[in-house]
Amino acid sequence: MTTTLREDAPSAGAGGASALLHVQDLRRDFGGVWAVDGASFAVARGAITSLIGPNGAGKSTVVGIVGGAIRPSSGQVIFDDEDITSLPPHACARRGLVRTYQLSSEFAKLTVLENLLVAAPDQRGESLATLVFGKRHWREQEERAVIRARTLLERFGMGEKEDEYAGNLSGGQKRLVEIMRGLMAEPKLLLLDEPMAGVNPTLAREIEGYLAQLAGEGLTMLLVEHELEVVERLSQAVVVMALGRVIATGTMAELRSRPEVLNAYLAG
Amino acid sequence: MNATSYYLTTLLVYLGVDILAVWALNLQYGVSGVYNFAFIVFQAVGAYTAGVVTLGSPSQNGGFQHYILGWHLPYPLPVIAGGLVAGALSVPVGLVALRKLRTDYQAMVMLVLSVIATLVVENVTGLFNGPAGLSLIPQPLTNGVASSSLNYQWLYVGITAAICGVVYIFVHRVTSSPLGRALRATRDNEAAAEALGKDVFRLRLFIFVFGNAIAGVSGAVLVQFIGAWSPGSWLYVETLVVLTAIIVGGTGNNAGVMLGALLVPLAFNEATRYLPTIGRPGLIDALQWIVIGLLGLVFLWFWPRGIIPERRRRFARQAARTGDAPRAGEPQLADPVV
Repeated sequence: MTTTLREDAPSAGAGGASALLHVQDLRRDFGGVWAVDGASFAVARGAITSLIGPNGAGKSTVVGIVGGAIRPSSGQVIFDDEDITSLPPHACARRGLVRTYQLSSEFAKLTVLENLLVAAPDQRGESLATLVFGKRHWREQEERAVIRARTLLERFGMGEKEDEYAGNLSGGQKRLVEIMRGLMAEPKLLLLDEPMAGVNPTLAREIEGYLAQLAGEGLTMLLVEHELEVVERLSQAVVVMALGRVIATGTMAELRSRPEVLNAYLAG
Repeated sequence: MNATSYYLTTLLVYLGVDILAVWALNLQYGVSGVYNFAFIVFQAVGAYTAGVVTLGSPSQNGGFQHYILGWHLPYPLPVIAGGLVAGALSVPVGLVALRKLRTDYQAMVMLVLSVIATLVVENVTGLFNGPAGLSLIPQPLTNGVASSSLNYQWLYVGITAAICGVVYIFVHRVTSSPLGRALRATRDNEAAAEALGKDVFRLRLFIFVFGNAIAGVSGAVLVQFIGAWSPGSWLYVETLVVLTAIIVGGTGNNAGVMLGALLVPLAFNEATRYLPTIGRPGLIDALQWIVIGLLGLVFLWFWPRGIIPERRRRFARQAARTGDAPRAGEPQLADPVV
């Protein structure tokens, strides 16, 4: 059962006109076990919504379904007023729903700069016309993409690393590359799956700072995160899942006093 | 002197064919992570196609050969036809093998396809004259030049080099472009590339078809030089020779794999000709396969990036072509400088 704690929460809850993403009654079973069992929530535009819950709550499955990697058994995913349920991941990404992964997913044998360039949307140089027209077909667009990528690298303090192979970076630096790569894709919604997992506390705080900045600039994010202090500092709204269902939504401060939340997650 | 020149020109044509082959398989395996163990089948498709569109009617020469088509197309249409047919046949294979299967299963499917293709061609004798294969395939552009003359040998070396040059333009356009970068990204992390908007299946299907079309061209170039082609020319292990050349030369590097083509199929094979006969006849040939396999394993274990590794792409910060600083608001040039 879903408990909406605050009707005027900026996201989560039942959504509303400002919601960018609506997840409606999602269900997904694996061999008869319901990993997601009727989850519904919404993500408001221009804010960070966090998805929390104990291990096995179904968060990763929901993220997989929203991102297109997993097909739901039933339910709907509405993104920017379009039904994207069961669209493949690349089609979701092209609509502006871009995700990062819980485990490092860098392109190891590409440089840091190339990792970002891969993500630039609608690249002329990826079309077959490249075979016919060569470099003149894509050169100018590529130049603009390189400038954008370098701007991002400087902003995230990685300018010196642009020629380094991404596979040679530290775990935390790989996380930064993934976030920058996500931004390079010009997302409407950035879906971050535990972006600070396995990162040292200093860099984790740095990543948190970047996410706060991005939220301040109006980027919509759905954050899956275990560190509740981080969730509290970053999120305007929180969705709590347990046993495949959304059991509560609201702000972190409100959720801390809810017994069902405490039982399912906070106390555990 | 003449004999040496004949030998040299023959080696050069073989080198050109091998270079086309390693570029093609490198696009698939080295750049894109597609394990095409049926590569040699598509080279064979190109060779057979070029053969049957060059030979003319099967009834000539006493009708001792049975094959389809029997056209007599002028040069260079047989070479183009070889590439096109190999590319076209790759589409249904790719649609089945690349859509749902993980790369290790793709490799198994390709290996099985390679074995099946040989059996089909051997047993359906009306296709390409069965186990005996095609022979007496005329050499191209022989007007006024005896195909057995040394001049013609050098002419064919020139033709092969020109074809290599044209193919390289297209290979380079793929590997140096954002298309090549997207392919390398799918190789490194398929799921992440997909999540950034890359249609991994379409990218892989493209490179499968494109690489196999080049394989077809390489087969056509070879068959028009040697004048014959049979199932013994394209056993599945031949793919492993091309693959070993790529691993040795430098996976993902067009220059590296050229070096591999020089070292493995050519230099290594030729060197063994000069070994003294030991043991029973044929032992050296048999050992050759084992040594090529071991060579691949040794490189994968100790030198996995090969002799000339894949290049690190760096992007220039300045307007390198003109030397001028970019004006305000004007994008900087961003050519890869290596």
